[in-house]
Amino acid sequence: MKKKKYSIFFIFQIVLSLTAVLAVLLPVFFSRVSWPDLARNYLEYNGLKESGARNLVSSIYLGYRAFDTLGETIVLLVAVSGTISIISHSGLSLAKGFGEEKSKKQTYNSISGFNRTELLDVVTGKLGPIVLIFGLYLMLFGHLSPGGGFQGGVVVASGIVFMALGSKTDSSTWLQEAGVLAKIEATGFLFLILASLSGIPGGFGFFGNPLSGTEASPVIYIIILNTIIGLKVGAGIGFMCIAMLGKVE
Amino acid sequence: MIERILLIILFLIGFYGIIAKKNIIKKIFALSILNSSVVILFILEGSKIGTNAPIMEEGVKNVVDPIPQALMLTAIVIGVCITALALAIAFRLYRYTHTFDIDEIHRKLHDEPF
Amino acid sequence: MNLSDIIFAPVFLPLLGSVLAFLGKAFFKDHGAKLIEYSAVLIGLGLPWIVLFYLLPSMLSGTVIQLVIGNWLGGVGVIYRFDGLAWLVDFLGFSIAGAAWIYTLGAGPKGPGFSAVFLIQTAALAATAMTVDLFNLFVCLEVLGIASYVLIASSEKPGAFLASFSYLMVSATAMVFFLVGLLGLYRLTGSLSYEGIASGLKILPRGGGLTANVSLSLIAAAVAMRVAVMPLYGWLPDAHALAPHAISAVLSGVLIKTPLFALTRILIIIPEGIEIGRLMGYAGAATALVGVIIALAQKDTKRLLAYHSISQIGYIVSAWGAAVAAGLSTPIGLTLMTASFLHAMYHALFKGLLFLTIGTTTDLAGERDVYKLRGAATILYRGGEKFPVTLFCFLVGALAIMAIPPLNGYASKAALSYAFKDSWQASFLFAAGIGTTASFIKLSRIYWPQRKIDQAAPEAGTVPDKVHISIQISQIFLAIMCIASGIFASRISLIVKKLLSTGIIDTNRVPPNLFSIQNLEKTAITVTAGIVLFLIVSTRPGKKILSLIRNRPRNFQGLFLSFSLGMFGLALWMIYKS
Repeated sequence: MKKKKYSIFFIFQIVLSLTAVLAVLLPVFFSRVSWPDLARNYLEYNGLKESGARNLVSSIYLGYRAFDTLGETIVLLVAVSGTISIISHSGLSLAKGFGEEKSKKQTYNSISGFNRTELLDVVTGKLGPIVLIFGLYLMLFGHLSPGGGFQGGVVVASGIVFMALGSKTDSSTWLQEAGVLAKIEATGFLFLILASLSGIPGGFGFFGNPLSGTEASPVIYIIILNTIIGLKVGAGIGFMCIAMLGKVE
Repeated sequence: MIERILLIILFLIGFYGIIAKKNIIKKIFALSILNSSVVILFILEGSKIGTNAPIMEEGVKNVVDPIPQALMLTAIVIGVCITALALAIAFRLYRYTHTFDIDEIHRKLHDEPF
Repeated sequence: MNLSDIIFAPVFLPLLGSVLAFLGKAFFKDHGAKLIEYSAVLIGLGLPWIVLFYLLPSMLSGTVIQLVIGNWLGGVGVIYRFDGLAWLVDFLGFSIAGAAWIYTLGAGPKGPGFSAVFLIQTAALAATAMTVDLFNLFVCLEVLGIASYVLIASSEKPGAFLASFSYLMVSATAMVFFLVGLLGLYRLTGSLSYEGIASGLKILPRGGGLTANVSLSLIAAAVAMRVAVMPLYGWLPDAHALAPHAISAVLSGVLIKTPLFALTRILIIIPEGIEIGRLMGYAGAATALVGVIIALAQKDTKRLLAYHSISQIGYIVSAWGAAVAAGLSTPIGLTLMTASFLHAMYHALFKGLLFLTIGTTTDLAGERDVYKLRGAATILYRGGEKFPVTLFCFLVGALAIMAIPPLNGYASKAALSYAFKDSWQASFLFAAGIGTTASFIKLSRIYWPQRKIDQAAPEAGTVPDKVHISIQISQIFLAIMCIASGIFASRISLIVKKLLSTGIIDTNRVPPNLFSIQNLEKTAITVTAGIVLFLIVSTRPGKKILSLIRNRPRNFQGLFLSFSLGMFGLALWMIYKS
């Protein structure tokens, strides 16, 4: 057991930083001002009417502040492609397309074949489809109950990881192939950009709801956005997890 | 009141971890803790003005503030993405220097030519 | 499609380009993917120019387009504002990004994945310049940040991974503090847009008091971290020195300036913002001097350029800070802001040029040490450059940063000294100019013919063996821009002034004579003193002092210590001044 000797200079630096941070945070954390109800009052009366979604949080992040959500999906996209390129450690990995990995079966066996037991196969392999369905439910019902594109997408991603962990080599699904997931993610991004531009021809502006003037309920736009985001997030995070499992070249 | 004290302690633990711990993986844990403390702070403060979840079923009144929740959805996703990228970089650093200790890595990478 | 739709083109055209690049990477193989990638870059970096020039006349006449995205009512939505400042930042961003991408065709990382992330970074730049909503600023800065972490790490050097990791940790922590500041401001005002916050703070007693001041300083410190002023610059030298050359050019040229101009929007609306500008201005003047001293001590070529970026951003921030403190609707404030932006623009051009040319030279020579590399001119000639294009472009860049007429550096430094006019900042900047001259004489020594005949030749196969045509094209483009913006400087500064004033002030007054005897005298003094300083530091005791400065202890926790102290100092200043 090595005992690390911390120099006095190091301790001084740490203490100084922590004190400075504490001093700066106190006025904000312990502020006595009561929380404003401006936004809550407005949304309580008008949120359902203007956006059509019962879940007010969905109406905010897919309606009023949809641009922030677009930025968030872009952060996810960059993180996923960056992580995968860094892990597949070859300088040209950002340049190559995503090829098939039929030759990766041996690696798959050696990496995750070590302590495989029947427990893993049965539990994760059989639970995988159920988790996928739950993820789909979260995506599609995001406007009525807590949920939405991101939450559903992350559950879908964990479903994909379950199926990748639990399947044996000769019965893997197409869902865990890198190429397919990359295609779903790229297509999802395309549809998201197209959806954000769809309001322009009708004169509703960037990210305007194209269904505002029509008979249809504006919530359909939110459902569509939820689905696109869910598929994109699910494919992206699933892809990243599969890369971390060591299955992407 | 007690919640805010706990949250500031959590924040300081996260910040302490980032600067004082030598292992890069622990630094990344600490960043995650830092993010979580701010997320909880937002949600907690936003919930003080109402009693119901912001789901407008029939006859629901007095909901909590939905804005902090929507903002924190974004912040959580961004935090996860940054954690993933940081872990990938830590992986590559380990592959190159065979250590997770930040001082060792600094020494090894600053001694040799680019 | 009316004007309020077109203003989003600089944001969604690069996004559309990156969508296409990702699709190309996922669905097609080599040749098809390449074709799609090039058309994606054409859409993303080329088409926005048409939009920018279409919008120029309306911006010159002072139109400002401000709208809520999606046309929602109620003050919950995200508000955007396109005015002269946004136009100028877009112009800056797209020109450097275009030149840098063309450079990567010859050197540096290639491929649809790289181009996609590069386009996303450019889209985020355009969005940051336009936003007047606090949480949207957070999201845009995060997109900008994550794109840069990935792009820095794409050079695949082990040092680059460490640089990217340090930048990531420090930046992510700073953004957490930004969120805390945002909490404070939302709690006081119930709104996230700048105007909402400003009007909310006005009706509070003492303008919000302690909480408002501290929250504002948290937000400003987090943004200042990205701008790399003193004392928050620690992440910059490693990140800029170890990134691929084109990315260094974009980082130094655009990414450290856009957050500064985005911060302007909030600081000029909120009355407490004036004090933040003032303190950051003082810090900027100090940065200019300290940065150049450390730069003079560096051995590695790109690290020297990176420390110079810190020094030059000090120039920009000192003028910007004084402009915010004076208020943008006063003539003196407008002059200062014009000088600041001009220097930002010209610095982007000549620093980008320097990074690209030094990058080409050191790649070809296989050596980055300023003390060891000599005879680069012959190496470039052997590398296939019949005409000394790279050497010429390096000279243009070096003369520009040393502020020699008729190049653009001279014009912007003259504008800065005119705007500062005998205040103490002017003497700091003057002293920094001397240091700049000395260090660039030191840097240019790599091109001098070698004294010894037997310099080790680079190993075959590790360096590119000829200089690609696209490298030369991008370098020549930037050099021409440097020369042209120097020659037409007075006209350009009038245009910039007009765009920044958004029609509030009459700006048709004639600017002072650029080539006056006073300015030329100052330049001559700077150059002579610079030569003297260079000779001093080439002596043995001089070299010893330099190596002391170069090897001062720097570690990871130092970054955070300086960040916390800087934030604390800013908060104290705000409280003291309120």
